Amino acid sequence: MTKMRGISRPGLLILPVLLCFTGTLPLLSAFGDAQQPDHTHQLGMKVKCMCRGCNESAGGCYHMGGEFSGPCGTALGMLKKIDERIAQGNSDDLIVQSFVQEYGQLVLMETPHSGFGRVAWWIPAVALIGGFALVLIVISRWRKQLTPEPALARAGHAAPISSELLDRARAQAARDTED
Amino acid sequence: MDVFGSFALLLAFICAVYAFGGGIAAIITRHPLLVKSTRQSGIAACCLIFIATFSLEYLFFTDNFSAAYVVSHSNRALATFYKVAALWAGQEGSLLFWSFLLSIYVFSVLIAYRNKNGELMPYVGVILAGVQIFFLTLNNFVASPFKALAVPGANGAMDLVTRADGNGLTPLLQYPEMVIHPPNLYSGYTGFTIPFAFALAALLARYPGEKWIHLTRKWTMIAWCFQTAGILLGAHWAYAVLGWGGYWGWDPVENASLLPWLTGTAFLHSVMMQEKRGMMKVWNVWLVFATFILCITGTFLTRSGIVSSVHAFAQSSIGSWFVGFLIVIFSVCLVAYLKNRDYLKSESQLDAIVSRESSFLFNNLILLVSCIAVLSGTLFPVLSEAVSGSKINVGAPFFNKVNVPIGLFLLFLTGVGPLLAWRKTSLESLKRNFAWPLIVGLVAGVVIFALGCREMYSLICFSLCFFVTTTIVMEFYRGAKVIRVRSNASYLTSAIELTMRNTRRYGGYIVHMGMVLVFVGLAGVAFNQNVQKEMQPGSSIQLGKYKLVLQSFDSKPEANYTGLRLNVEVFVDNKPLMMLYPERRIFETNGETGTMVAIYSTLREDLYVVYAGQNPDTNLPVIHAYLNPLVKWIWFGGVIVVFGTLVALMPNRRAVLVLSGAQQPAPEPLVHGMTPSVTYREGHD
Repeated sequence: MTKMRGISRPGLLILPVLLCFTGTLPLLSAFGDAQQPDHTHQLGMKVKCMCRGCNESAGGCYHMGGEFSGPCGTALGMLKKIDERIAQGNSDDLIVQSFVQEYGQLVLMETPHSGFGRVAWWIPAVALIGGFALVLIVISRWRKQLTPEPALARAGHAAPISSELLDRARAQAARDTED
Repeated sequence: MDVFGSFALLLAFICAVYAFGGGIAAIITRHPLLVKSTRQSGIAACCLIFIATFSLEYLFFTDNFSAAYVVSHSNRALATFYKVAALWAGQEGSLLFWSFLLSIYVFSVLIAYRNKNGELMPYVGVILAGVQIFFLTLNNFVASPFKALAVPGANGAMDLVTRADGNGLTPLLQYPEMVIHPPNLYSGYTGFTIPFAFALAALLARYPGEKWIHLTRKWTMIAWCFQTAGILLGAHWAYAVLGWGGYWGWDPVENASLLPWLTGTAFLHSVMMQEKRGMMKVWNVWLVFATFILCITGTFLTRSGIVSSVHAFAQSSIGSWFVGFLIVIFSVCLVAYLKNRDYLKSESQLDAIVSRESSFLFNNLILLVSCIAVLSGTLFPVLSEAVSGSKINVGAPFFNKVNVPIGLFLLFLTGVGPLLAWRKTSLESLKRNFAWPLIVGLVAGVVIFALGCREMYSLICFSLCFFVTTTIVMEFYRGAKVIRVRSNASYLTSAIELTMRNTRRYGGYIVHMGMVLVFVGLAGVAFNQNVQKEMQPGSSIQLGKYKLVLQSFDSKPEANYTGLRLNVEVFVDNKPLMMLYPERRIFETNGETGTMVAIYSTLREDLYVVYAGQNPDTNLPVIHAYLNPLVKWIWFGGVIVVFGTLVALMPNRRAVLVLSGAQQPAPEPLVHGMTPSVTYREGHD
């Protein structure tokens, strides 16, 4: 009877489901179309504002602490250049590369996938794969060390369990079921 | 008072050195008087640091502009409230504040355990004194906050001077949250010293069993709670003050605060493996070591100027001291481990792959990968410059691409973990426990997709939030149901009773629920909108359903600044909703500018209005308005996380009953003869 007990008695679980949905009704109404920035700002988000006063992209420069909380003069200049190059019909890659030529790779907001920049991307991937392999090795070693449980004594022939052993088993059960 | 404070710091240093050296001698000789005197010396060092800290605060409150630090970070017109915060506004003061908070912990530990754990405490005392010595060295000899203000005299010597007024506090810190955010964050950083000291002490002393874990569990949770609150308060400060519409920019200093939080979270989970199964002893010890090392690394990043950040202190040579300290800590940990690693042998084995133990392993793996990704990304510009000669930028796009999938997987594990039993989970149990959460998660995903959500990560995140919420609610429901059968109380009362009987477990679920709410808020970022416009009185901008009309703008001189304020009326469907007053503050003492953002916040979204500045050509104000969905859920989730941690810190009600209930009848057996504590575990069997 325990099989699929939760599903056979859905009435008992109506509360959590209702809670889930009623609690998040305001959330559901929040979706709108994600705002797409214009082409210039889209490209501006790929290059860093080179004013050296903020770590923001040219497209998202807010220049904290400055006289103006918005694109600073440098960012505006970079956005203007992007505008001009778009008007000239340059491709997106060409426009971004023109900034790389001018400022070096530091201008790229996204770490490059080429050259030494690749190492930045490899580190988390290697950590994940290496860590996953390590977890599997640990699990497999723990499983190998597992000693087989003694065969259950046949009914009627079981040796009496000492009270000490019983207490230890109870303590272990209590620990196992506490959290 | 500056000489007094300086002298107190020097005495504290001497006391800490005695506590360290004498402590080592006490461990070797085991002489009780020596043990006692070193402990009291440690307590005296803490008291002297308290005195030094209050002395510096006194200098701020009395506008003593003969002290260089007070001149740099305060002025007469500064509100008293912010004179408290001025203590940690600069390098020297914040290092003293670090020592102060560490001393509170050390003082509490030395007092609380003065008659307990006699074998362990001398080691703990020595380690804590060692950490204090490092910071007191900085306070006394490298970055003293009590330096007198001096200018070069006519004869080339330095003349002591007193200024009429100070330079004032940086405007970014003149915000109420900055009075509580750094203390919280620093309390987190310094708090992790305690589990570190106990772990290292247990290893060095080969202290038997898991007692050090029981001793430090609450300290770890307290530190974690402060760190969590500190990070979220920092995010809120960035959101409400910086005026860029966001709350997390993957700035190196923000990252530095996240690193120990990640390893600390991993430790809080994996420690249960050691408590219950005697497993992962090496791992836990190294997690505690790593957490403390990352706390110091974070401080090093903030203070050395090695990475550029809007939050960092000025570039200084102090970084080399931290590098030295990090090398010492790591060496001590490594030697202690190599000498005593046999003490950390695992006692149990894994009974089944599908079990709570495995879920904790993966939880730890994911948290550690995230930590490595954040750390490597933060240091990569420095590394790339050293290796290739050119600096490569690692910004938000990198961190988002790497950490968003990791975060989602972690959220998934948050739902899966509690549904798996220790040792082994049967297929039947899997079906029973996962059916409803999966159904709810999938249905929610379909509904949200149908409602128009096309952002993949947001969609997955929302579905997982429903999945995890269902697992948590089911856990409470099942437990409460058993209590309700017995007591005839309501579900709510039963759920509270259930929580109070096992505060750690159900407090943990409340923390998970808080994290779900935080994720809901984070998922909203995909739908942010913003618009910027130069406006004249009477003109308007439309953002989503909101119409913003600039009514007027004016300037108002205050004691410490001049406020330039816009009066913006907000309409929805052409009906007036409210007035918003975004403001820019010009601080006369240092000429710096601060932003006061006006936010209309609802559960659905935040209307976030910034007075960006004036167009120099037209002198007209420019408004930058943002519509940020679901942000409030993050702050609300943070409150729930802190609440859950506080619940988890409370003692179990059952334990109180055991202590006082000798005459009470034994609890009646429930269905099938099971006691309540076993019966409401049915979801885990």
